[in-house]
Amino acid sequence: MAAVTAAAGGVVRTDSPGAPERSGRRSSESWKRHVVRQLKNRDRNQHMFQDLICFYTRLLEKNSLAKGIISSCTRRPSDSSSSVSSLLQQNDQLKKTTGELAYRVVELQQQIRVKECVLQQQRVRLEEEERLLERASDARQELNMRVEQVKQENRAVKAKYDSLLERQRAAEMSLRQAEDRGGHLLEDMIYSKQQAADRMNSRNEHRSRARAMKLQRGQQSTVRAKVDIDSPSSAPTSRSASPKNEACGSSEQRRTRLFRSVSLSSPRFLSSIRNMFEKRRGRSFCSLEEDSMGPVGICLAARVPVRALQVLEAHEQGINAVRFSSRSDLLATGGTDRVIKLWEVRAGSLTHRATLDGSTEGITCIEFDPIGARVLAASYDKSALLWRVDNSVPKLTLTGHNRKVTAARFSSSSHQVVTGSADRTIRLWDLQRAACVQEVEVASYCSDLVCSENRIISGHYDSKIRVWDSSSSLTCVTSRVGSCIQELPAQGKVTSLDISPDQRQLLSCCRDDCLQLLDLRRCSNARVCFRADGFKCGSDSTKAVISPDSCFLAAGSADGAVFIWNATTGNLETHLPDKHSSSISAVSWSLSGEYLVSVDRSRWAVLWSDL
Amino acid sequence: MADDKDVLRDVWFGRIPTCFTLNPDEITEREAEPYYLLLPRVSYLTLVTDKVKKHFLKVMKTEDVEEMWFEYEGTPLKWHYPIGVLFDLHASNTVLPWNITVQFRNFPDRDLLHCQSNSIVEAHFMSSIKEADALKHKSQVINDMQKKDHKQLWMGLQNDKFDQFWAMNRKLMEYSTEEGGFRYIPFRIYQTLSDRPFIQKLFRPVSPEGNAYTLSDLLKEMFPAALPTEREPKRYQVLIHGIEPLLETPLQWLSEHLSHPDNFLHICIVPAPSD
Repeated sequence: MAAVTAAAGGVVRTDSPGAPERSGRRSSESWKRHVVRQLKNRDRNQHMFQDLICFYTRLLEKNSLAKGIISSCTRRPSDSSSSVSSLLQQNDQLKKTTGELAYRVVELQQQIRVKECVLQQQRVRLEEEERLLERASDARQELNMRVEQVKQENRAVKAKYDSLLERQRAAEMSLRQAEDRGGHLLEDMIYSKQQAADRMNSRNEHRSRARAMKLQRGQQSTVRAKVDIDSPSSAPTSRSASPKNEACGSSEQRRTRLFRSVSLSSPRFLSSIRNMFEKRRGRSFCSLEEDSMGPVGICLAARVPVRALQVLEAHEQGINAVRFSSRSDLLATGGTDRVIKLWEVRAGSLTHRATLDGSTEGITCIEFDPIGARVLAASYDKSALLWRVDNSVPKLTLTGHNRKVTAARFSSSSHQVVTGSADRTIRLWDLQRAACVQEVEVASYCSDLVCSENRIISGHYDSKIRVWDSSSSLTCVTSRVGSCIQELPAQGKVTSLDISPDQRQLLSCCRDDCLQLLDLRRCSNARVCFRADGFKCGSDSTKAVISPDSCFLAAGSADGAVFIWNATTGNLETHLPDKHSSSISAVSWSLSGEYLVSVDRSRWAVLWSDL
Repeated sequence: MADDKDVLRDVWFGRIPTCFTLNPDEITEREAEPYYLLLPRVSYLTLVTDKVKKHFLKVMKTEDVEEMWFEYEGTPLKWHYPIGVLFDLHASNTVLPWNITVQFRNFPDRDLLHCQSNSIVEAHFMSSIKEADALKHKSQVINDMQKKDHKQLWMGLQNDKFDQFWAMNRKLMEYSTEEGGFRYIPFRIYQTLSDRPFIQKLFRPVSPEGNAYTLSDLLKEMFPAALPTEREPKRYQVLIHGIEPLLETPLQWLSEHLSHPDNFLHICIVPAPSD
């Protein structure tokens, strides 16, 4: 303790106001060490009593126990007399307590049994729970596995998707390249087409000049011939006059009508006049009455086409009908794409002039009126439509049929129109009133019809051609379709009809791949069939035509080839394959005899000629 | 800091061997044996003397028993001081064990507080802790604690569980580093020869200049006579937990490590032994 106080004193001394800081660290440790040391010291002094106290306490307890025993021992011998009784009493008491204790033992054992039972139950439950837990953990593991599996599948699908995406990208790239290439090709093609057109133009010019020269030479020769004729003979004055005079003189009425459509100065006109004369000389039969009925005879030498002048994609969808105007300068095509396109035919090529729209469905049949100012068309939309050539909006829409209209024709009186329809009716319409004036029910689907001077001839699916009387046609207003005056059999479903310009011959095309030519004047069944290897009627509405000079028949086959037969010999004249890639639906021969146009189901139109 | 933890342990587990003897004036059926016990320094008398009471009641008639109280050499021992303080104050330089007389009659109402149950001790203990924290942290820490935390402090003391107590008491000993210590040091200075029970004033652990105050600074302020001078021999002993720390020991450290569980630094100043 003295050392402690000395140390404390020392510290106090160094703790004077000027105490240097350097002693701080050493002393900071020393005071702590001091405290620790002192505490240990204190404890050493005080804890040595611990064991002592322990022993003492134990002795105290034993002592008190011994005291208790001694006191009970000393009390016992104090009075022995009472001790026996007390002992007995004690014995009784002890017995009683023993009994009680035994009873309690039993009771407790029972309790133990109950508890054991409970324990057993709980153990069972525990086991059950454990089993459940195990099952649950198994299920969980399985689910985890499935999750893993699904993840893997997802990854696989993702990879597939990525690869597909890659392929799509590659495909798009190649598409773009192909489009570029297509564009280039198109440009090249247009350029080459232009060149071809230029070449054609120059050739045509050349040819027309050559023809003019030839004509001039011809005139000179005729002039010479006239001089020759005039001098030796004078018998048939009317005949020996110049062809021009003869034409003017013989039937003025008819010619004026004719002049309306053909320009006088045209060299072709002159040549055709000449041809006509030659033909008349060649064929003995000639009826003036029949000739006077229409603008026929202006072309008497149709030329058999040999090559395609132009192949063009005329419509956006398949083409169903094609028709030249009577002046041969205009071509109309109509297709599934609901429009009629008008093309100008000039110098051996077709130029798009106008588009006539208004039909809500595809066009089935087209016809020009005799002067070429109006276009009549039948449509899938159960109506027939009439346009003016110079107006793309329809002038009239004739509605009333219940199904598609398959044929629409101007009747011999030009203010009337006859239509045939899939609803098994033929209707007569008045254009001035824009109304149906008559309806005739037929037994079968009408596929096509043609009108002649006083007859209407219709073709049907029941392999019959029916001839209807439209007599009293001179009183135009009351013109009516009479009864069926004749039924002519055909070999199959009739797909189209065409009547020759002289109205003598009727051409029908049947589904049995056979064209049939009927002579209408002889009311007999004399007919000629035209067939050819490879000719196949492509559809129920395939249209075949007679050439304007009635010498040839033309039809398109299902294989895309155009077949031309000689009407007089019945032989196949020519066969023009390779231009169409699909079934030809219709052909049309220009009235000038110069051109033939064929159209097909895959949008293409081909202009044929002999040049 | 392993040293610091050891210090805390030593402080907590400080024991005083004590011999309880019954006052000879008590009426007994037979002679009462003295009872020896190791008293924890940091606890309170009434909290640890159940066995003593039981021991002495064996020899006494129940009708003669009133509230038990203790005295040492004629001085009633205040139960609301920690046992260590009582020992240091009254018996620091005597021979061990500490002889305490147990009395069951004539309760000195003027000197002692009644203590019927441990809940009174608990109330006293908790109020001390709260007072100390008011000085240290403006009561912020103790108010942030929950009821169960308060209970943990008390149960730690009652059941002599060092870890349980310090797990919570640690929070009460925290302070922000920028302040360098508590707001005020909770301390009490006890003297034997004085009418005043103890000295308790506001005292900061750090001087305005930022120097840490030491034990000697505190004594200079509160009880200059306790400081030894060069001329005279030492007159007083400054005891904390029965030891004399160096006067240069920083006050903040003392407060953190040598405080009693009630968070006060109880300092006893007793006359130096004459030998």
